[in-house]
Amino acid sequence: MRDGGRVQKRTLRRADRRRRFLRDRSLLLMVIPAVVLLLIFNYAPMFGTATAFQNYSIYAGFMHSPWSGLETFRSMFADPLFWQSLENTLVLSLVQLLLFFPIPIALALLLNSVMNNRVRTIVQSVVYLPHFFSWVLAVTIFQEMLGGAGALNQALRQHGYATWDIMTNPDAFKFLVTAQVVWKEAGWGIIVFLAALAAIDQNLYEASAVDGAGRWRRMWHITLPGIRSIVVLMLVLRLGNTLTVGFEQMLIQRGAVGRDASEVLDTYAYYYGVVNANFSLGAAASLFKGVLSLILILAANKIAHLVGEDGLYRK
Amino acid sequence: MNPLDGLRADRRRFLELAGLGAIAFAGSGLLAGCGDAKTTNGPGTTGKDQLKALLPSYVEASNAIKPDIASVQGSNGFFSDAVFLAYPASPVTTATGIPGKGGTYVATTPLWGAIPGTSGNSYYEAVNKALGANVKIQPSDGTNYEKVLPTLFAGDKLPDWIQIPSWNMPKLGFADAVGKFADLGPYLSGDLVKAYPNLAAIPTSAWQCCIWNGKLYGLPVYYGGATFNGMPFYRKDIFDKAGINADEIDSPDKLAALGKELTNANAGQWAFGDMYGYINHMFKFPADPNRWTIDADGKILHRYETPGHLEALNWQNKLATAGYIHPDALADKSQDAKQRFWSGKEVISGDGPGAWTGDDSSSGKAANPTYNRQAFKIFAADGKPEVLMNPSAGMYSFLNGKLSADQIKEALAIANYLAAPYGSAEWLTINFGVDGVDYKMTDGNPVLTEKGSKEVATTYQFLITPLTPTTVKGGDVQATKDYAAWQGDMVKYAVKPAFYGMNVTEPAQYAKLVQPMEDTIKDVRYGRKPVSAYEEALKSWKAQGGDQLRAFYEDIRQKYGTGQ
Amino acid sequence: MTTTTATDLAEQKVRAPSNRPSWEEPPTAAGQTGKGAVLIFTVAVVIVPLWMVVITSLSPQGAVNQASGMVLVPHGITTAAYQQIFTNQLIMHSLLVSLAVTLIGTAISMVVTILCAYGLSRPGSYAHRPILMLLVVTMFFSGGLIPSFLVVTALGGYDSYWSMVLPSAVSVFNILVMRGFFAGTAQELIDAAAIDGASEWRTLWSVVLPTSRAVVAVIALFYGVGYWNTFFNALLYLPDNQKWPLQMVIYTYTLQGNSMPGTGVTNTGQYFGHQQIAPLAIQMAVVTLTLIPILLIYPFVQRHFTKGMLLGAIKG
Repeated sequence: MRDGGRVQKRTLRRADRRRRFLRDRSLLLMVIPAVVLLLIFNYAPMFGTATAFQNYSIYAGFMHSPWSGLETFRSMFADPLFWQSLENTLVLSLVQLLLFFPIPIALALLLNSVMNNRVRTIVQSVVYLPHFFSWVLAVTIFQEMLGGAGALNQALRQHGYATWDIMTNPDAFKFLVTAQVVWKEAGWGIIVFLAALAAIDQNLYEASAVDGAGRWRRMWHITLPGIRSIVVLMLVLRLGNTLTVGFEQMLIQRGAVGRDASEVLDTYAYYYGVVNANFSLGAAASLFKGVLSLILILAANKIAHLVGEDGLYRK
Repeated sequence: MNPLDGLRADRRRFLELAGLGAIAFAGSGLLAGCGDAKTTNGPGTTGKDQLKALLPSYVEASNAIKPDIASVQGSNGFFSDAVFLAYPASPVTTATGIPGKGGTYVATTPLWGAIPGTSGNSYYEAVNKALGANVKIQPSDGTNYEKVLPTLFAGDKLPDWIQIPSWNMPKLGFADAVGKFADLGPYLSGDLVKAYPNLAAIPTSAWQCCIWNGKLYGLPVYYGGATFNGMPFYRKDIFDKAGINADEIDSPDKLAALGKELTNANAGQWAFGDMYGYINHMFKFPADPNRWTIDADGKILHRYETPGHLEALNWQNKLATAGYIHPDALADKSQDAKQRFWSGKEVISGDGPGAWTGDDSSSGKAANPTYNRQAFKIFAADGKPEVLMNPSAGMYSFLNGKLSADQIKEALAIANYLAAPYGSAEWLTINFGVDGVDYKMTDGNPVLTEKGSKEVATTYQFLITPLTPTTVKGGDVQATKDYAAWQGDMVKYAVKPAFYGMNVTEPAQYAKLVQPMEDTIKDVRYGRKPVSAYEEALKSWKAQGGDQLRAFYEDIRQKYGTGQ
Repeated sequence: MTTTTATDLAEQKVRAPSNRPSWEEPPTAAGQTGKGAVLIFTVAVVIVPLWMVVITSLSPQGAVNQASGMVLVPHGITTAAYQQIFTNQLIMHSLLVSLAVTLIGTAISMVVTILCAYGLSRPGSYAHRPILMLLVVTMFFSGGLIPSFLVVTALGGYDSYWSMVLPSAVSVFNILVMRGFFAGTAQELIDAAAIDGASEWRTLWSVVLPTSRAVVAVIALFYGVGYWNTFFNALLYLPDNQKWPLQMVIYTYTLQGNSMPGTGVTNTGQYFGHQQIAPLAIQMAVVTLTLIPILLIYPFVQRHFTKGMLLGAIKG
């Protein structure tokens, strides 16, 4: 399969553009509706990015707001709070990458290994539900279970043990946030991997078992390679979103742990941009984030290619 | 449920409007009072002499009805709400004839609650029939209003009539926005207002808040004669059981001393909730939306710089670190504070004065039959209490600048009808709809029917609100009387803060100073950081612009006075 | 509750027929126990809060105020919260709006996404990399709320139903995931079809789609859930509440528990008839109502996760 692709590719490089265009015109036609929608609803509004270089006022509008060059960026980069928010973002993202990302995959593999259909159906039909809870509700549930007056701490207190302060501890906040993300999103996250597992050819397992491979070897040699390209794709997309860590989740818990632990890029842009009616700062922060994210996803994609995976597209 | 529940004031309760899925946050530092907003065009405020010419004349309602408990005149012109234990038996009519001429006006108001359907709504139909016009009410979700408003301005989609709360104004840079609306001066200033007697009966202090850049733009949603943030409440039933006499608590130290006695963490009971927003009168510092005060030497001080603010932080910080404040309160779960108070998990809890109603007692009694909410009498650390008042109107409606003069006159005639005082026939129609359909008189007071509770929402009232008395809710006459007595005592200590009702527009560059301070204040009041962290933050606040901001206000004082 | 579920699961394990193929070795006791423990824990941490949500939604005001939060052990049951929501005269119409938006929206999104994903899935096809770039960029750059509003209103989307569908019709994330599946799973079949002289349209319709039912179901679920649950576009673009979708209507009920900034009052509760309902009960009723359609739809999606779906296609 892979070799076929390469041969095909080499041939293509030699082909002239016009011939490729004619050959692929149906494919291009198929892409048009999506591209047109994106051009209208995503690209057209991007003129708003220009406000990052303006002293924007909604009353003067985009055409008449005075230009300010790089002034907004200069003051943003000079603000220690901005760098603090970037650092928090990166740390939280890294913790989530390590502690959250593998969990849906592991859960999907576990569910896939359950042979009993009813058990599998029951578990599958339940685990994804927290995805539909709002962050307000999710945090409320955590507070009622683990908060200072929550179920766990009341039990500890009544039995004379020391209480365990997790909901308002700034130092442990990154782990709290990750635990919340695991609880809320892991079940929903397995869906894509279940679909990938469903696409693996079952004959491969039988053949392998007949050849004497045990269950761990089958997982290593058939299951994991079978979902590897999807795992890598999800990882590349996740890395592209490194700078996005739970805006709402942070906003809700800012009061509980304080700014030092919970300020991320998005909340920084919110508090110093939106709240202060400083649209230009909001636009500058979002532009900065966009550029960095694009670099990250392209780098992640490059790495995927280096290790022989497709990532976003085949090399 | 009384649809006017929305109107009593507790300007501070800055919210974490815990909607599901979406939440609206307002940085507490930005809950502005009378629309102070950033702008590029000067301070936006207006001097005293100019004000005089602009303000509508005050003409007391000629057919005022005698209340069951009269309003108490307090200090500095503030007064407590009159109390009606029952709706006047034979309601008078205050507006002559049908005010409208058949015009159609799309009106947008924020609404914090289920939004009723428009078509087939007998309440809307009844009010519009009475108005003689088609006021198409399009309520918008109050929690997301701050996101919708800028799009309406930027996309030129403003309706004919729109209400904007003062706390949404800073994000709009409102002094720049207000030019989109009709200047009402030529219709209402001075004696012109006499053509609209119900508008003329709205106290001057409310109209004063409606002026920006030297012009009268707004129609006030009047809060009352003595509006302030709130006070500490206590559970009298729990106090009685513990043998504590609340009248003996007359200093912050004595209040704090209750912490140990009333906290029993094992049983899930803590002495205090988050008190910070409700103790400013004890320690004498201005709280949002007020920011400034003038000390004994005549120096202008921001509330951050006042010694009282530091003392208050210190006071709460000690309670927090000693474990006397409920852990959920320290986790910033302010939206559940009432439930904690009802269930007795917090014995002493701050809240707005509007929390003290019969509806509240039925909620509390549902959790605990002996529930009894009472407030401490006003006291202060130095024994000389002062309660700084908030602007008497915090929301305003505006007419679109594109309306013709005739349309503006028709809209103002409609506003005159909507501003009909309590006790009138119009008031019942505006607030309760049709007798026997939307409401029924029960024990002398109008109570919404099941149909009414689905159709009636606070909508027309949010375009303009007249003087509203205290009324009986949930059938609890005692709670009404208790509150009235407390308020009558409180107004004796009422004081105007500096720059009262002046709609000062601060230069935009100072907006960024607020958030770091508010963040640090939370760190300290929740016991995460020591008070010294606040003193550090204050130093950088001063250095990074606080001192300049003071100079800006010094300039305002020279040119326009301090609103006293 | 936890224990009940655990026992149920354990019992079912014993009783239910296994789908274990003959070639697979029998499970080890340790493996079974370990798996069982993880699954029971996973289900428990979801079921307990879910139980609290449902019970709170059914609790009278006294029980909610007593608990001062979510109710774990029921003290009385009332459906007042649901009755209050369902008697809103906007509900039926908004339900129709939501169904229409979800069905039409998902249909449009799926067509656009499948076509685009397939169009970009061929290695080395003309301009596929620049087009992918164009797509990826939109994931990270946006003009912001106000420019989007200006574009949609300039095109006549204000006060119009299509503003609920078209601005959010394309999810680049979904296209990339689907493209990944198309490119990864069915390449041999596509090559074979090409040799047979089938057109791209035909290949997509009769070769790729039949072998990609799982991912098509998943992406349809993603879009469907997105359309069903969205209310932010309604908030921005539909000022007239007669046009609102269900989620926007029921969302306004969750606001009742919130104190408005100017007051501290509205928190006490609402009346339904003469019964006062705790705001939290209504909020939890809304959460429960949000879950119901998902619970109805998910089994249909789940069917496509059955193992060995590709079997027939490849052999045939």
